[in-house]
Amino acid sequence: MQVSRNHRTDKTFFQLGLFYKIAALLVLLFWLGGCSQTRLGEVDSSNNVLPVVDSHNLPDVIKTLIKQSDEQYLNQNLAGSLATLERAVRINPRHGEVWSRMAQVYLKLGNSEQAKQHAKRSNSVLKNNAQLKAFNDRIIATGSVESIH
Amino acid sequence: MTKPKNKPRKKKSQKKKVNKSKVRSGLRVYLFNRYTFIGIILFTLFFASYLFYLNIKITDKMSGRIWSLPSHVYARPLELYQGKHLTVKQLKLELKQLDYSRVSNRPTKAGQYRILNESHFEIISRNFTFWDGEQKSQGIRLSIYKNKLATLHKLYSDETIPLFRLEPVKIAGIYPATQQERQLIKLDEVPDDLVLALLAVEDRRFYQHWGIDPRSIIRAMLANIMAGGTVQGGSTLTQQLVKNLFLSPERTLSRKINEALMAVLLEINYDKSVILETYINEVYLGQNGAQQIHGFELASQYYFARPLIKLRRDQMALLVGLVKGPSWYAPRRHKQRAIERRNQVLKLMLERGALTQAQLNKYVALDLGLANKPRFSSNRYPALIDLVKRQLNSDYDEDDLRSSGLKVFTSLDPFIQSQAEASVKRVIKRLESTNPNAENLQTSLIVASSQQGEIQAMVSDRQPNFSGFNRSLDAVRQIGSLIKPAIFLTALQQPQKYTLASVLDDTPLHIKTSKDVMWSPQNYDKKFSGNVLLHQALENSRNVPTVRLGLELGLSDISDTLQNLGVTRNIPTYPSMTLGAFNLSPFDVANMYQTFAANGFNVPLKVIREVLNKDGKPLKRYPLKSDKAIDEKAIFLVNHSLHRVTQIGTAKSLANNLSHSVAGKTGTTDDLRDSWFAGFSDDQLAVVWIGRDDNASTGLTGSSGALRLWTDFFQHLDKTGDLHGFSLQAPAGINNVWIDGESGGLSEKNCLGAVELPFIQGSEPTEKAACKSAGIIEQIKRFFN
Repeated sequence: MQVSRNHRTDKTFFQLGLFYKIAALLVLLFWLGGCSQTRLGEVDSSNNVLPVVDSHNLPDVIKTLIKQSDEQYLNQNLAGSLATLERAVRINPRHGEVWSRMAQVYLKLGNSEQAKQHAKRSNSVLKNNAQLKAFNDRIIATGSVESIH
Repeated sequence: MTKPKNKPRKKKSQKKKVNKSKVRSGLRVYLFNRYTFIGIILFTLFFASYLFYLNIKITDKMSGRIWSLPSHVYARPLELYQGKHLTVKQLKLELKQLDYSRVSNRPTKAGQYRILNESHFEIISRNFTFWDGEQKSQGIRLSIYKNKLATLHKLYSDETIPLFRLEPVKIAGIYPATQQERQLIKLDEVPDDLVLALLAVEDRRFYQHWGIDPRSIIRAMLANIMAGGTVQGGSTLTQQLVKNLFLSPERTLSRKINEALMAVLLEINYDKSVILETYINEVYLGQNGAQQIHGFELASQYYFARPLIKLRRDQMALLVGLVKGPSWYAPRRHKQRAIERRNQVLKLMLERGALTQAQLNKYVALDLGLANKPRFSSNRYPALIDLVKRQLNSDYDEDDLRSSGLKVFTSLDPFIQSQAEASVKRVIKRLESTNPNAENLQTSLIVASSQQGEIQAMVSDRQPNFSGFNRSLDAVRQIGSLIKPAIFLTALQQPQKYTLASVLDDTPLHIKTSKDVMWSPQNYDKKFSGNVLLHQALENSRNVPTVRLGLELGLSDISDTLQNLGVTRNIPTYPSMTLGAFNLSPFDVANMYQTFAANGFNVPLKVIREVLNKDGKPLKRYPLKSDKAIDEKAIFLVNHSLHRVTQIGTAKSLANNLSHSVAGKTGTTDDLRDSWFAGFSDDQLAVVWIGRDDNASTGLTGSSGALRLWTDFFQHLDKTGDLHGFSLQAPAGINNVWIDGESGGLSEKNCLGAVELPFIQGSEPTEKAACKSAGIIEQIKRFFN
């Protein structure tokens, strides 16, 4: 065992056996797949998807729309993402998570003024969500995409 | 000798004569040939030019936009999800407006629904292209319990659905001058049987001729001679299309020649399939009010409420039969004629092998199978559609609006609109019957979502369907006391100087407005109360302390506040503006109060959400935008008082008439010319104006007029569960303190006349007022409050 392990470490990827190559590729694919998935409560920093800390407190209808909006966001359909979040706001304007996500989309669109306003609207309806409030405060203070990386 | 002498002379002269005549006739021939030649050349040139001109006319039209397609305006789509406030009545109305058919058995087709036990719905939606993509037809089942959507599942499945969007109701069309309405269809989507029937009836040799068919013309001529009148036409489909697309309907020889020439040119330029497809979309097939029904696809929707592809063959036969005379055979008016015509077409289909004898027998025995007449073309919401057009006009010119086939999605809620219309009709009638001085009243009612500023309903006339002067947008009237929250807001934005407990002077006031003119504002009750606290002045709408405060603050500062609140008109800065002696429309007022309703975020009111082009591709979206115009703490203080207006102030009747709390302000102008109420809950804002078009007195105050209408409307929202109360959530940095109701000094809960008021942190009064213990009854009252 010892010998073979040492033997393997001396090899490059291209010298590995077929089994190990497939295994390594699968690991890589899973890792990449994991990166591209957006789930409520997760942060995908490369795409600026906002964490929803208290997603379990949101009604299913709002969660569904946020998820749909996230998918549109990841597909670079920012107008669609915003439109979906507006549907959520129409259903219930008292979820700070939705307003905050709208702020995020506006940031991505390069409209820092509207991003700030929506972050403020998020803060105005937020209840006991210090993490999200801190996130909104950062947008309000700097109004830039870079600040939230 | 003479003879011979003469002979040759004669011969000579004869020869000369012959020569001359030969020359002349040769000349004539030559000239004739020459002129004929030139004539022929000229004629050919002219004819060629004319053909060229006709050809350009044809290709220009055919390569560009052949038809003017009307734009269609849609209401908001109804979103269905668990917990949504929804009544059975509301859902039934929505489905009725969508022209869904109620069935007693299981629904099997898109556009059908059934109701079980009066509260369980099974619905199959239709395909619809929303701004964010196409939504396929889907079956759902839902239940409603206690005015809420209790369960939502896939049809015939236990799988729950978190959210479902019904397609929106089409509420109006913006039509071209021709009033033509059509839905385009591609030839490969047209059922073969319809094409076969059409060709059998209208043009059997369509695929053989070159635009004109001499055989058909001769056959028609013979038939007409035999009948002694016109009984048959010899026009091909191509000629009919040319006539409809390019020529006037007059029956002249020149038009007939043009028709023939253009038909041939059309055939030279275009494939048969293009000509047939264009014909199928062009042909006139009926009339719905002012709108002309063109094309088979729209006719299918109009007569049978289903797409062409879903029609039975007898229904197709009826549509084909209508080509000959849509008015004469109008199926809804002349059922027997229509049946006979349909049967004629069915027989022709049999001859062409499209039907068997058994099928023919079955079809001729059937009823026409018409659907209810759809409502899609009427403009039932004239005021709102006027607003839609005005907002669209900033992005599209009038011609495009009327001819590009845009799909415009709005925020109109048909259910709320119907409630608003019912309230207007009911209350205006009641006000006129119970107030002797109230007659010829007119009104405006605007309803918007508080947080998004989306117009949900708009009524601009006591007869809501009447299309005329749009009072909501154009009746620019004095606003009276509706200005007051803006003045008090200006003050409360300076917490170091003003609080809700600031003492204001309510004693006689005389202001020199110009050289020799003195203005002495009065309170509505013509009394002066000495000192009042700021919140009391707002809650009880005291004029004199408001004017004094306004002058102290500065008129230009008040004007700035109004602009921050969303008022875009120029506001004059003279002293009487502090009592609302300047003009705004109900729409302006709604914009202003929306900022209060949204806790300081100014969201300009809008009615359009999205626009799609005729192919369903997104063109433009009108996103929700907001500006933080006003400090939320100052807004909260004003809203606190506006809430108290509806509890103990000029609109206190609301406390007993609604089960939820709201906030608002009454407004009355000089001589009772205008009666206003602007009020809101967390979710809805509504502004009511009542007045007369001749600006005469209505005999109504804000409380006795507009407030009644506002209350009636909100009571209906309340009943259906659509009313969410006004929650008045204090933002961070607000402290509640008990103060003395007379002096504004610090007090305690148990003191007589003590009132609990919110203060921006650091602005609380510091001086203590004397405390006289409240009696037991007062304490019990406070306990229950």
